Amino acid sequence: MKLTISHLRASVEGKEILHGVDMVIKSGEVHAVMGPNGSGKSTLASVLLGHPAYTVGTKGKKTASAILLDKKNILSLATEDRATAGLFLAFQSPIAIPGVTVMNLLRASYELRHAAKHPKKTEPVQNPVLARRFQVGSMAIGDFMNMVKAHAKTLRLSEDLLNRGIHDGFSGGERKKIEMLQALVLPHEFAVFDEIDTGLDVDALRAVSKGIRVLRNKGVGVLIITHYQRILRYVKPDVVHILVAGNVVDTGDYTLAKRIETKGYGVYLS
Amino acid sequence: MKTKSPISGKYKYGFHKPEHYVFKSARGLDIEGVRNISLHKHEPAWMLERRVMAHMIFTKKALPTWGADLSTIKFDDIFYYIKPTDKKANRWEDLPPEIRDTYDRIGIPEAEKKFLAGVSAQYESEVVYKSIQNSLSKKGVIFLDMDSGLRQYPDLVRQYFGTVIPSGDNKFAALNTSVWSGGSFVYVPKGVHVDLPLQAYFRINAANMGQFERTLIIAEEGSYVHYVEGCTAPIYSTDSLHSAVVEIIVKKGARVRYTTIQNWSNNVYNLVTKRARVEEEGTMEWVDGNLGSKVTMKYPSVYLMGRKARGEVLSIAYAGPNQHQDAGGKAVHYAPETTSQIISKSISRGGGRTSYRGLVEVFPGAHYCKSKVVCDALILDDSSRSDTYPTMKINEHQTQIEHEATVSKIGDEQLFYLESRGISKPQAESMIVNGFIEPIVRELPLEYAVEMNRLIQLQMEGSVG
Repeated sequence: MKLTISHLRASVEGKEILHGVDMVIKSGEVHAVMGPNGSGKSTLASVLLGHPAYTVGTKGKKTASAILLDKKNILSLATEDRATAGLFLAFQSPIAIPGVTVMNLLRASYELRHAAKHPKKTEPVQNPVLARRFQVGSMAIGDFMNMVKAHAKTLRLSEDLLNRGIHDGFSGGERKKIEMLQALVLPHEFAVFDEIDTGLDVDALRAVSKGIRVLRNKGVGVLIITHYQRILRYVKPDVVHILVAGNVVDTGDYTLAKRIETKGYGVYLS
Repeated sequence: MKTKSPISGKYKYGFHKPEHYVFKSARGLDIEGVRNISLHKHEPAWMLERRVMAHMIFTKKALPTWGADLSTIKFDDIFYYIKPTDKKANRWEDLPPEIRDTYDRIGIPEAEKKFLAGVSAQYESEVVYKSIQNSLSKKGVIFLDMDSGLRQYPDLVRQYFGTVIPSGDNKFAALNTSVWSGGSFVYVPKGVHVDLPLQAYFRINAANMGQFERTLIIAEEGSYVHYVEGCTAPIYSTDSLHSAVVEIIVKKGARVRYTTIQNWSNNVYNLVTKRARVEEEGTMEWVDGNLGSKVTMKYPSVYLMGRKARGEVLSIAYAGPNQHQDAGGKAVHYAPETTSQIISKSISRGGGRTSYRGLVEVFPGAHYCKSKVVCDALILDDSSRSDTYPTMKINEHQTQIEHEATVSKIGDEQLFYLESRGISKPQAESMIVNGFIEPIVRELPLEYAVEMNRLIQLQMEGSVG
């Protein structure tokens, strides 16, 4: 599969942040987007999933913005439909939702993604919070929970967290790992990691990087948004994009990331 | 089978069955009507006297003006007493098919089958079906409808009836005392633990019919009982009045939990007085969920009379279009080292209004007592409203009183987060709402927790478009 970002322009409150971003990510590839603060990296992540605060604009421009999954333009799809179509976003600062447990969210989301792929085989989720049904997608509930627990273990996440309201009172590191856990449990074609490396200690960074490698090996296309080259030592990207002031100013291989680490973005800012 | 969205203005359980009544009193209430109820039930003279006295109080007392708007209640349009069938059924199969069918449609059978032995179901003004678990009577536990309780244990009823909530307490307590019918009578002997929750199901099924259950629970020293009631009602075009009185006596070291989920249709005035008297080292827990009705006024209370008595009120209120839920709790500390906790969660949507109204009162000499009040409100749109009216009367220095209140809205970022996981907006909203009330829902028996979540989900998912 192929995720094509084409002439993507996006504005918030009338101010254009992205000025026409182009990018093509294929299944199994890892791309990194690097850039200084305020360059539009997180905007890119939000816009891919259709955050309502952003307007994707083609006003007065000849070429229309597009986000294509293979040939299907998903720009007109609602956020939940982009998700079930195969996009996953790991949030930079995920918000807490008290009372909605990690396990219940995973179940609800897994079922919906599964149902989207296998229409009519499963009933719609009746009650994601308290449904006492024995199937999750095509899996028995016990198997599903074991699968979640196994992933949690590799991320060194305490099982207790799974039964707590998602991100409610979680530490910074726990939040990042819970985002990674979802990426591992929920089926998808393309994953965007928005600064998953920020604030992680070395062990956590290793665990999260390992997760990304697992996804790549499964054929997931990955977009890593980061300030630093650090995570890229553990997950070597196939392509590195430099995003400055809403434009992709450079694209290259891993050596580009190394150059940024030593020389900074200064060369693009002048 | 498809369930209609409740948002179209049609109540989910808005069906009703043809009426078959053996006896139906005239509309409205006069002293003769009150006498007839008592005569019809062959009650002892003292009860008739109570009813008549209470009727006098009722006619003299003014409507409370401090809470929700009650000015549209038409007391003269209400049937005060209806007896649906002449015989009581002992087994589920013996119930008239249309009544069984009504219960089926509410979805009771799951719980019913499980707890059949412990179920007492109320249809109309009187309990028509009950099946008492054998082990209950072996342990000396009494679990009857109130009318049978009065007939079989007149002395016990006389000893406690009206001692926690006297007729003069408020206009609706007086009304209930004068026309009460049905409700439960529970007596748990010293040291007895009732393992299964005692369940009662309530249902109104006649236009303009008042429901005036009277429940009395006596837990002797060191005993334990969990009483559960839940109800749904069909919709009618004219206003209905539900005004129950629940009195609970928790003796030394006993523990009583009383769980209610009420989902009256949106034309019902639900004005209930619930109060427990808790003696030394006793524990009273109220778990109270209010989803339906037009107006609810309900403040489960704990009167902590003995040293180290404990009281807890957990309440959930949901107000949709044209609904006002005025709910909360009261904790009155008369004795030293008593503790109380009131946790209230309210949700308002589509122009609905929720109010938290609570009282914490500490009398002189009740030193070292502790009280904690937490009220959280979730407002789902700009047309809805939530207010907090906490009252604290603390007349003792050495006390520890906490009060927390929060008001929140569902945030766009929370919605986006869940939507990014493939969850639709209405489903995301219902997850957030269910998450909000989860700390209280987890205290409910499983079937009720499931039902509660489903009701919230139905309300929320219909709310879009």
